[in-house]
Amino acid sequence: MIARAFLFIALGLYTAFAAGPFLWVATMSLRTTSEISRDHYAWPSTLHWEKFPQAWFNSNYSVYFENSLVVVLSAVAVLTIAGAMAAHCLARYRFRANRLVYFIIFSAIIFPPQITIIALFQSLVQYGLYNSKLGLTLVYISIQLPLTVYILESFFAQIPADLFDAARMDGYTEWQIFWKVSLPIALPAIATTVILNTILLWNEFLYAVVLITDDAKRTLPLGIQRFMGDQLEDVGMIATGLMIAIIPVVLIYLFFSEKLIQGMTAGAVK
Amino acid sequence: MRIASLIIAAACALASTAATAQTKVTLWSHWAAEKIKRDFVEDAIRRFEAANPGVKIEAQWYEKTALYAALKTALRAGTAPDIFYAEPDQTEYMENNLLLDLSSLNWGGIEPWAKEIWSHKGKPYGLPLEAWTVELFYNKKLLADLGIKVPSSMQLDAAAMTDLVKKARVRNQTPMALGAGDRPFPGAHLTHEALLKRLGVADYDNLLTGKLSWSDARVVDTLRTLRSWIDAGLLPTTFTTLKLGESHSYFHTNPGAVLFLNGSWYTSRAFNPPDKGGQPPNFPLGIMKYPAMPQAVCNECRTISVGGSFVVNAETKNGRQAIAFLNSMATPETASRWLENVLVQTGIKADYSKVGGPHAGYFKELAATSQGARYYFGIPIQKMQGKQKEVFTQVFNNAFPAGTISVDDAVKQMNAAYAK
Amino acid sequence: MQRNPIDRQPWGAISAFLLPALTIYTAFTAYPVLRTIWNSFHRVLPRKEEFVGLANYAALAKDDLFWRAVGNTFIWACASPLAEVGIALFLALALYARVPGMRFFRIAWFTPVLMSYVVVGIIWVWIYNYDWGAANAILRTLGLERWAAAWIGDPKLALPSLIFITTWMWSGFNMVVLLAALHSLPSEVIEAAELDNCGWGAKLWHIIIPLIKPTLLNLLVLSFIGKMKIFDLVWITTKGGPLWSTETVSTYLYKRAFEWSTFDLGYPSTIAAVWFVIVLLAVLGLTRALRSREKLEY
Repeated sequence: MIARAFLFIALGLYTAFAAGPFLWVATMSLRTTSEISRDHYAWPSTLHWEKFPQAWFNSNYSVYFENSLVVVLSAVAVLTIAGAMAAHCLARYRFRANRLVYFIIFSAIIFPPQITIIALFQSLVQYGLYNSKLGLTLVYISIQLPLTVYILESFFAQIPADLFDAARMDGYTEWQIFWKVSLPIALPAIATTVILNTILLWNEFLYAVVLITDDAKRTLPLGIQRFMGDQLEDVGMIATGLMIAIIPVVLIYLFFSEKLIQGMTAGAVK
Repeated sequence: MRIASLIIAAACALASTAATAQTKVTLWSHWAAEKIKRDFVEDAIRRFEAANPGVKIEAQWYEKTALYAALKTALRAGTAPDIFYAEPDQTEYMENNLLLDLSSLNWGGIEPWAKEIWSHKGKPYGLPLEAWTVELFYNKKLLADLGIKVPSSMQLDAAAMTDLVKKARVRNQTPMALGAGDRPFPGAHLTHEALLKRLGVADYDNLLTGKLSWSDARVVDTLRTLRSWIDAGLLPTTFTTLKLGESHSYFHTNPGAVLFLNGSWYTSRAFNPPDKGGQPPNFPLGIMKYPAMPQAVCNECRTISVGGSFVVNAETKNGRQAIAFLNSMATPETASRWLENVLVQTGIKADYSKVGGPHAGYFKELAATSQGARYYFGIPIQKMQGKQKEVFTQVFNNAFPAGTISVDDAVKQMNAAYAK
Repeated sequence: MQRNPIDRQPWGAISAFLLPALTIYTAFTAYPVLRTIWNSFHRVLPRKEEFVGLANYAALAKDDLFWRAVGNTFIWACASPLAEVGIALFLALALYARVPGMRFFRIAWFTPVLMSYVVVGIIWVWIYNYDWGAANAILRTLGLERWAAAWIGDPKLALPSLIFITTWMWSGFNMVVLLAALHSLPSEVIEAAELDNCGWGAKLWHIIIPLIKPTLLNLLVLSFIGKMKIFDLVWITTKGGPLWSTETVSTYLYKRAFEWSTFDLGYPSTIAAVWFVIVLLAVLGLTRALRSREKLEY
């Protein structure tokens, strides 16, 4: 029994360790910077909810949030469709180049971003897509494509062949088979990849930092740095900004935690 | 004949419409947050536009790092503005032929050493608007409280400095505010001013250009003196992460320090209203010279360098107007206006004794610290390139003042960086 | 896995399905890779590109800042997996023992992974702050004042401090995966072991671990790959300092491409190309080495 109690304490400590920083930021987001400077760890005496609208309206956070929303959602939409189509094709049709194409796409998962970023920078500048949301969206689609194809392909491959045979016998065209047979069955997996891609792209930083310079086009991860001006660090407002960035993701997680965990662990569990 | 005169008439008509059409000149600049300098440039723009109807200058204001990033890509993509802010250490612009040759500027109205700093292969490329020296600001009251008097030479000696550090620490005060959190030069001021005094102009130049080894006994000796101050607690504990703007308020507002080693452009932040990062009202500001170093060859040597300047895009279609605008600033009147309002030196020739305005007293003190000075032109990172610049910045801007690298290791790193 | 045994290939449909993905892939992944490699043999300036052959590669071989960055990245990529997976295994086993409140723990431990590296970086810079950060505050309240340090300001402590942060982030994720793996184990084997009167330790070592070995190895490889790519966290916290102690290949490349006083993109492309090869070889080597030990013993 002592062992179990000890275990429980250890787990409790670890939980404090894992969730502690997040809670600390949450409390700081409701306190002003001068209150924080007096005591960094106190519980908020007055809950300054007004800091949230302040960050949202006075500091361009609404712009950053909107940019992130537009870029991420469009990227995920295109990504899901293109990825599903490719995955369906690779899983269901046998042709000689099949495994080769799959390997080429799949291997891109290990590519370090450095190998593409300089040339992407050059290409986007060349075609006038530098410092544009469109350019960033296109790049975002390309970076998550390999993972999406990988996850969906293994799922599509598990659909029993009889369903396809039956559909074909009913005179469905290839496209209809994809749209009316594969997709509906694969909806759980697709939902998972959508959630996964949304979270990964929502938090993406490196490509955004290289490819966007205009303040008005910044996504949220870049925008968070706005409060880190060259005067005194406005800890309180930064904390509020961090909460605005974290909250959407936390909400998605709370509602879809099972799906999300499944998705993020897909392929990791054999 | 009739056709010829028709053509000539048409050409004249076209020319006159072209002349009265608005020419738009674009300008990108740093100083978005430095009101005084920004106001000065906007005023210069207004004056120029008034004197030159038909030309409109459109200015866009940035923070320095954002500006440099935007320029790098804009220049590459061919979408850069006609005029932009630059500093002389950005030799990459000149090396890649991205700047317009400014030989046709009125160089008679500009200090020759400032022109020299902006010259590349014999041609000048920038208007040296801002010039600055490294000054040692201090809080008169705090210094008096420590019982330390500044001699009439306005320069403490090394022993007095050591004494100051010890006394301040006893009272739990930070002797000198300084922060290298977001700039590659403030921390290095401590070292390069000391080395300049000990070595003199010629050998200091040799040191920076790699002709003198960093293992030279005089260099090592100077570094050891500095190290003794640092070890005694000269700088704030948060030195490594303290940002430039924060270091200013660290000095004059909270928590307050005795000394502050900064460029003479200190005023463009300090004389802002207090809620915008400026000094509290009636702050007892004093200026003195950087301490004399033991066995120094030239204690009156100091660094002067060119700061914010304006350059012209080589691919501009409005070269004539751009150069005209820059020329409008290369006059003694503009220089006086700059001095009186911005209170920083300038590369434009000016009569310093005629400076009036509400802060004339401050300017007299500033001029007093430069009395009898021998100048070295340029801070180290304006003289170094590539790896040497990177190593110098990491070692002398960050690690050495923070006390995380020993004198011997610092010397070793620098020698290795210069080795071919 | 059943494959659809159709003989006539509907090439029209196949190409149509693959077209969007392949177009994007070619334009934004394949082409940039090739262009970067092409860049690496040139000096790439705004108005011209000159062929320099292997000059960039020769310079890279002598670039000790690059090799320092490679070293740091490898240290990170090797230490992290061990820490992250080790802790995760302990936690998963603890939860597997059906401790009450399991669902709550699972959710709480997974949250660090959801946050952007930017958010994580800012929070941990505050935690590591010398004067008022949580790390030193906790040490001071415990009376361990001596151990309070400038965690990310000291060249000797900066890299371990950053590794600590990624461990904090990813242990929860690994734990969730391992827990799923544990739950999917065939219960007969465990029951059989119980019948054989195996002690807890023996049960663990000889039965459970070998059974989840594939998952463990997968997590190690994923963690390794992730750390080889790391950029965001370093950029927000230390930017590669102090004194290059946290300089990773990605931060060094970014600086050479966008911050050094030069427009040349050729040399940074060389860095990217060489690093690309190093990463591929490392991942191949790692998976091969681990796979040979993947024998299930019953």
